[in-house]
Amino acid sequence: MSAISIREVTKVYEGGVEALRGVSLECASGHVTALIGRSGCGKTTLLNLCGAMDFPTTGEVSLAGQVTSRLDDAGLTHLRRNKIGFVFQFFQLLPSLSALENVELPLLLSGRKNTEATARERLRWVGLEDKTRSLPYQLSGGQMQRVAIARALVHDPAILIADEPTGNLDNASGDVILKLIRRAADELGAAVLIATHSAEAAAVADVRVRMGDGRIEKVER
Amino acid sequence: MKLFRRLILRPLRRDLTRTVLTLFSIALGVAVVIAIELSGDAATGSFESSLTTLVGKVDYEITANGGVDETYIGKLAALPVNARFSPVIEEPVVIVGHGSTTLYGIDLISSAGASTDSQSFDPEQFEHYAAVSNDLAERLHLKKGDALRLKGRSQSADFTIRTIAPDRNNEWIGVDIAAAQSLFDMNGRLDRIEVVLSPGENAGNVERLIKATVPSTWDVLTPGARSEENRRMLRAFRWNLRILSYISLLVGAFLIYNTIAVSVVRRRTEIGILRALGVNSRGVLLIFLGEASMLGVIGSALGVVIGRLLAAALLGMISDTVNALFTTSTPGPISLSPLSVLAALLTGTAVAFFSALIPAREAARVAPAEAMRRAIVEYETRLHVRRDLLMAAVVAAIAAVLCRFGPIDGRPVLGYAATLFAVAATALVAPAFVTGIVFVLRTTLKRIGGAAGLIAGRSLVASLSRTSIVVTALATAISMMISVGIMVGSFRETVQVWLDAQLRADIFMRAQGPATAGIYPPIAPNVPDIVRQTPGVAEVDTLRAFEFRYEGTRATFAAANMDIVRRRRFLKFVSGTFPAAPDTAMVTEPFADKHHLRTGDVMHIPLSGSTAALTVSGIYYDYSSDRGTVLVDRSTLLRYLPDQPVTNIAVYVQPGADAAKVRRDLEMRLRDFPLVIAPNEVLRRAAVEVFDRTFTVTYALEAVAIVVAMLGAANSLLALVLDRRREIGLIRYLGAATGQVRRMILMEAGLLGLLAGSLGSALGMALSLVLIYVVNKQSFGWTIQFHPPALLLAGALLLVWAVTVLAGVYPARFASRLQPGEAMHEE
Repeated sequence: MSAISIREVTKVYEGGVEALRGVSLECASGHVTALIGRSGCGKTTLLNLCGAMDFPTTGEVSLAGQVTSRLDDAGLTHLRRNKIGFVFQFFQLLPSLSALENVELPLLLSGRKNTEATARERLRWVGLEDKTRSLPYQLSGGQMQRVAIARALVHDPAILIADEPTGNLDNASGDVILKLIRRAADELGAAVLIATHSAEAAAVADVRVRMGDGRIEKVER
Repeated sequence: MKLFRRLILRPLRRDLTRTVLTLFSIALGVAVVIAIELSGDAATGSFESSLTTLVGKVDYEITANGGVDETYIGKLAALPVNARFSPVIEEPVVIVGHGSTTLYGIDLISSAGASTDSQSFDPEQFEHYAAVSNDLAERLHLKKGDALRLKGRSQSADFTIRTIAPDRNNEWIGVDIAAAQSLFDMNGRLDRIEVVLSPGENAGNVERLIKATVPSTWDVLTPGARSEENRRMLRAFRWNLRILSYISLLVGAFLIYNTIAVSVVRRRTEIGILRALGVNSRGVLLIFLGEASMLGVIGSALGVVIGRLLAAALLGMISDTVNALFTTSTPGPISLSPLSVLAALLTGTAVAFFSALIPAREAARVAPAEAMRRAIVEYETRLHVRRDLLMAAVVAAIAAVLCRFGPIDGRPVLGYAATLFAVAATALVAPAFVTGIVFVLRTTLKRIGGAAGLIAGRSLVASLSRTSIVVTALATAISMMISVGIMVGSFRETVQVWLDAQLRADIFMRAQGPATAGIYPPIAPNVPDIVRQTPGVAEVDTLRAFEFRYEGTRATFAAANMDIVRRRRFLKFVSGTFPAAPDTAMVTEPFADKHHLRTGDVMHIPLSGSTAALTVSGIYYDYSSDRGTVLVDRSTLLRYLPDQPVTNIAVYVQPGADAAKVRRDLEMRLRDFPLVIAPNEVLRRAAVEVFDRTFTVTYALEAVAIVVAMLGAANSLLALVLDRRREIGLIRYLGAATGQVRRMILMEAGLLGLLAGSLGSALGMALSLVLIYVVNKQSFGWTIQFHPPALLLAGALLLVWAVTVLAGVYPARFASRLQPGEAMHEE
C-alpha cells in the first residue's frame, strides 16, 4: 500500500485561486518521489496536503492509511506528530535549542520516553554525534540541514516531506543531504516526497513528477 | 504624512490589541500622577478661613501660643489705622442632639456690617444669636428662627439662628464672642485676633504698628502664610505620594521602550527597504519617535480623563489622612486647570518620547543594505551581559552612597535618587539574571513541561533584550509592592508595639469634637475630680495639649503629670530621659529631627506673653503625628500659662476592679458633660484604623502600578508571539497540538512572573531599607523597626504571579490559533 495516496484532488483558495486541478499520485514506502516544476505550479500546495497541513477542496488524500478529510485539527496534529517528518529549505531549526534539543523536540511533543538517547542516535545516523551541544548559529548550512533531517526522522515517520532541501546549500553539502534522503527511503523505509528545482535532487528520486498549472504533466520512473 | 500613515498608523492598527494595551498603560501611568496631584491640591488647598464669610476678607491674624489676651483688642483698636480688629474663638462645640461642629466666636456687633445678612440685630438679644453655614443648615435641616442648644466646656446655652451663611464645603456655627467665651470658660482670653484693613490702608504700616503694640512673642501672620505653613507641613506627605505615583509612569516608560523595540524588530525589513530607497537615518529615527509621541499624546489625553475621575475617588482618602495626621482642613474642589492638562500631556509624551529614544536610534542605525536582524540585537545583549553586571555594581554602589547623605531642603531627594539608581541597577542585572535562572531551571522546565517547558525557557533567553525589559518593568512594580509592603508592615508593627507601651491606661476621655490633628477641645474643670472620686479608679492622669508654633512650624505642646507618666507609661527614649527639673521638657523624635534638637539643648518657646526656655531632657519615640510634641510637667506649663484646661484624661483602674464597670459608672456620672469615653481597646483599634486608612492611597497606587505592569506583560507576551509566528508554525509542523502551544506561552508567562517576582523581591527588600531608614526618616523623622510581613508578602507575590500567568491567556490563545502553514510562509 502507498504511504501517500492522492486521488483526484483539487485545491481552491479563498478568492478563487485554483492551485491544484484533479491531481492523483501514489508514493510508496522506501521510494523517493521528486516534484518538479516552476514556482506557482502547485508544488507547495501538494506538499502541504501530503504533510497533513491542509485539506483538499475535493478529492481524497490518504496518508499512512488515514484519509485526512475525515480528521479534525487534533487528528491532523496526531498524524503529523507520529507519521510525518519535514525538512525545509531554510533548515528551520529553533535558534535557542542545541542540535540535540532540536532533534529531541518531536519526541517531546509526542510525549515519548528515552527522548535524549533516541535523538542522540539519530544525530549519529546523520554523522553529527560530535555536535550535540552546538547551537544552530555554530553550525554550517550543511550541518544545520543534517540536524533538520535528523529531527524529521527521529520518530521513524512513514512519510518524509522535503521542500527544496538543497536550495540553500553549496553542491558538496547538497550531495550529503541528498544521500541522507536516499538513505531515509532505503534504510528507514520512509516514503520521501521532495519538491525541488535541482536536477541533482531529481536524479536521486525513483519517481519524478513534473507539475505545471496545478496539474501533473508528466511522471517519469 | 503619507509615509507616517503607512508606516506608523497602519501597523498600529494591524496590532490593535497591542496598541490599545500600550495606550492604556501610558494612560494609567499619567492618570495616577494627575490624580495624586489634583487630589493632593484639593486636600491641602482649602485653608482659607471660613470667617471670610462672617467678617470679610482677613488681612492679618494675630496669634500666640496658648491664646491671646483680650485686652489687646482695645490697644489695637486705638491705633491710628483704618482697620477692624475682630476677636476670634475657634473651638469644637456640641450641638445638643446633633453631634459636634466648629464654633466661631466673633464680635457680632462690629461684624454685622460684614455679615451676609445685615438685618438689624437686637442689642439685647445678640448674645443669643447664631449664624449657621449653609452646609450645616442643609445637613441638619435648620432654618432661620430655629433654636439650637450648644454645649461648650462646662456651660450650655440656647441660641436662635438669625443667619444662614453661604459657605462652600464648610460646616460651622458663629456666635458672639462673649457667648463663646462663656461657653468655653475663656473669659478675657481669645484664640486669635483677625485684622481687616479698610481699602487703601497701608498694610506694611499697619503690620509695623501691630507688632509694636502686641508682645514680641506673638505672631502677626497673613492668612496666606498660614496656608503656606500648612502646605509646608504636608510637603513630605505629598512628595512621598507623588514619588509613588511616578513609579507607575516609570513602569509605563519601560513598556513604551518595549513597544517601540518590538515595532523596530517587526519592521526591520521595511526599515531596510526604506533606507535603500533613500530615507536617511534621521528620517527613520523620526518615524519611530513619531510613533512613540503619538502613543504618548493619545495615552496622556486618556490619562487626564481617567486621572480626573481617580482624583475624586482619592480625595476622601487623602483628606482623611491630612486631618488625622497633619492639620485640620476641609477639602476644596478638584480643579483641573488647562495648565495641569498641558503638563500631563507634556509629561506623558515626554516619557514616551525619551523611552523610545534608544530603540528608535537602533532602528536609525540600520545600514541600507542590511535589514536589521533580531539576532544581532539579541547577540549584542548576550555579549554585554558581563559589562552590564559591572555597571550594575557601580550603579548600586552609587545608590548606597546616596543613602548616606541627609535631606535637601527637608526632602529626602538623594534617597529618592537612590531608589532610581537601584531600579537602574536592576535593569542592568536583568539580562544576566534571566539567563542564569533559565540555565539553572532548564532541566526542571523540560521535566515538568516537556517540549513546552524546554522551548518556553529558551525563548525567553533567545529574546533576551525584550525579556529583560519586561522582567525589569514587572520587577519594578513588584519591588514597589514589596518595599512599600515591608515599610508599612514594619511601621504598623512598630506602631503597635509603641501603642502597647503608650496606651497603658484602662479608660481614655476627651471632649467631644473632631478627632483631628491640632484640635484639642477642653474638658470641664470639675471632670477630673469626679473621675478621681469614682469607685474603682486608682489614678487619673490629666493632659493639657494645644497647638503651638515653634520656629515657623506648628506642633503640639502638652503637659502631663510627669510622675504618673514615668510610672505608668513605658516610653522608649532615643536619648535622655523624663523631665525631672522645672523648665525641662521631653520632645518626640520627629520634633527633635525637624528642629535639630539634642538632649541638653534649650528651646525658647513663646507662651502667651513670655518666652519659656526649656531644656530638652530626653527625646522619645512617638508615632502619633509627624507634627511633633513637646511634653512638660504640668507645673512647668502653669508657670507660664495659668488656669489651663484639661484636654485628655487617662484613667487607671485599681487592680482587680472591673474596667468595664468603672467605665459605665463614669459614663453615668459624667452624662451631662460632652465627653468621649473610650476603653483602652477601642482607642487602640481606632489608632490602628487611622494608620490603615493612611496607607489606603498607597495600596491603591501600588495596585495601579501592578496593573500597568500586567498590561505590559500581556503586551510583551503578545509581541513575543507575533515575533515568533514562524517558530510557532514550525512547532506545529513538528506535531505540536494547539494545547501544547498554549501551554508553552502560559509557561513563558509563568516564567516571566517567576523571574520578575524574584528580581522584584530582591529589589523590593533593598528599596524597603531605603524607604524605612532614609526616605521615611528624612521625611517624617520616625524610626521604624524592620518587621517584614512575610506571609502577607508571600501571598501578594503569589497573586501577582497568578495574574501574570493570566496575562498570558490571550497571547496563548492567539498563538494556538495561528495557522502553521500561514505562519511559516508569512515571513
